[in-house]
Amino acid sequence: MQKIFYLIMATLLALPMTAFAMNQEDAMMSELQKQIQELSGELEELSDRLDDAERHSTLDRIELTGDLRVKADSLHYNKVTVVEPPITTPVALPGGQMDGWNLNPDGTFKRHTSTLNNDVLYTTRLRLNMKARIWDNVKFNGRLLMYKNWGDSSGTKVFDSWDSFTMDGTSSGNTTDDTLHVERAFFDWSNINGSNFYLSIGRRPSTYGPPTQYRENELRGGTPSGHLVNFNFDGITAGYKLGELTGWEGQTVRFCYGQGFESEYGNGELWGEISAKDTHLGGFNIDVLNDGTNFIQLTAFRAQDISDGFKGTMAIPSSFLPPDLGSALLPGFNLESRYFGTTTIGNLNLAGIGYAREEDNGLVWFGSFGWTQTDPNGESGMFGGMLSDAKLDPVLGDTTGDGNVDSIVGMIPSGSSMEDKTRDGYSVYIGLQTPAPFGKFGLEYNYGSKYWMPFTQAQDDVVGSKLATRGHVGEAYYVIDINPRMFLKVGAIYYDYEYTGSGSPVGKPKKVKDVQDGKAYSMLPAIDEIWDFNASLTMRF
Amino acid sequence: MKKLIRTVLFITLAAFIATSALASEGGNPRKGKHLYKKNCKTCHASGGEGGLVTPMTKTQAQWDRIFKKKKHNEDGWKNLSDKDLKDIQQFLFDHAADSPQPQTCG
Repeated sequence: MQKIFYLIMATLLALPMTAFAMNQEDAMMSELQKQIQELSGELEELSDRLDDAERHSTLDRIELTGDLRVKADSLHYNKVTVVEPPITTPVALPGGQMDGWNLNPDGTFKRHTSTLNNDVLYTTRLRLNMKARIWDNVKFNGRLLMYKNWGDSSGTKVFDSWDSFTMDGTSSGNTTDDTLHVERAFFDWSNINGSNFYLSIGRRPSTYGPPTQYRENELRGGTPSGHLVNFNFDGITAGYKLGELTGWEGQTVRFCYGQGFESEYGNGELWGEISAKDTHLGGFNIDVLNDGTNFIQLTAFRAQDISDGFKGTMAIPSSFLPPDLGSALLPGFNLESRYFGTTTIGNLNLAGIGYAREEDNGLVWFGSFGWTQTDPNGESGMFGGMLSDAKLDPVLGDTTGDGNVDSIVGMIPSGSSMEDKTRDGYSVYIGLQTPAPFGKFGLEYNYGSKYWMPFTQAQDDVVGSKLATRGHVGEAYYVIDINPRMFLKVGAIYYDYEYTGSGSPVGKPKKVKDVQDGKAYSMLPAIDEIWDFNASLTMRF
Repeated sequence: MKKLIRTVLFITLAAFIATSALASEGGNPRKGKHLYKKNCKTCHASGGEGGLVTPMTKTQAQWDRIFKKKKHNEDGWKNLSDKDLKDIQQFLFDHAADSPQPQTCG
């Protein structure tokens, strides 16, 4: 009985505790369920938001980045010599020979030399980079580029140098208009079938190549050596990542092929008058080592069947027109014309080796050596043969009205060039860039010999590619890093031309001094020196 | 010409003043690369204990968050000084998915 009583008492005492415990558990369960419900709700909301983000990123297939550069240049051209063009009235030379050249009595060419200043020239360059993923091992890269001088969207310039052509190969480095040109557009198909091979076709990343990126204050901007190739072209690259086998970081072997001139499409081929051949480019571009500190690059390629001009447009200077047509034009008007090469003038071989080193303390130094070899075929077009002048024949007519066709009324290209020798040219390019207060300081020097003939015409210096110069060039610049995406650059470039025709394979390079002294003829103005003081602001986004 | 020189000098002076206010110390990305190769790649290579990680694996902001919150197991970082970590962070930041990249084909 007592036991039963104690049992009953224990049960009665325990009941509230149990009830209390059961109440606590219920409360906890209820709280947990509430929290689970809240978490489920949040997860559902996150999932919806993630769906939106995923949809957005799937449909936004192109990643866009870019940069904007505004630049001011002050140009001082020292001793610009313009030689009078051939005339149409006969001139008697000592010995009784008749000639159509415009000569002084002492036999020197009539010419005038002057100094020109362009106090300020403003340009704007906009670059929009595009990237898209096509598949796991296939991607698309492209770049749209606008490069113009302020207040000018005409798209052409008066022809006074080979840089004044508007043409395919220099569309990114020559100021034209406010159009966005496609500077590069290509795909990369990598690790084909699990191998180290890759294939890339399209408008090539062939500008701003090493070691020219340091003066641009950016990373490597193109594949080939910028000392030899800074030129927009369309082509194919087949590459192999050899470093995966050799252990040499970044070692890549590339075979590149492109076409620089299409002779038979768009040149009036149905008229049956085309004689120039297509120009094909091909060669090797090898990154021997690229480990973030040392960079070694070898280049060797050939341009086959170069014509006496790429396809391009220009405004014809009045002095180039027949006198009766030139005088009929109103002041300020120029005939705009499309030009294409009519004559195949020879082949060109190029090779080079470059080295750049980036020290841990930020110091960068580099050196590059380039060699070119022009191999003419002895033919010439209107402007000349390969690094040789056109042989001109006098055109006879009757200027006196006596019925005798014995007066020289003009000079025309004969179709042959004055010489067809193979010529070697070379160039050295060195520089250093060092950390400096608030940014970097850089010094560069390059020299090009008489017959130096690279494909760097798309380098966007306003007076022409400094690396194509047949003479000496020195550059100093200071970069102020305002923030990681914006910098100011002030600098000066000094060009000292020794020979004419820098950057052109057509026409014999003449000593600038000989042109100044009237001993040599130059179709285009011969410049002795240029000072280019510049300041630019660049921002990346 | 004089106008251009005055304008350039003004902009240069303004930039110097602006950068004095904004300049901050960063790590050395080249040292960071050496340290990363020596200390991190053993675990963060393909098939490694930490899984494949390259600078392109994350964005700049994501790398900064990892280093700010020290979101990494302590063992992996125990032999690295604060300066080392700063250098590694700078290397990863400078080569992150959204950082400027060299432009070549392939």
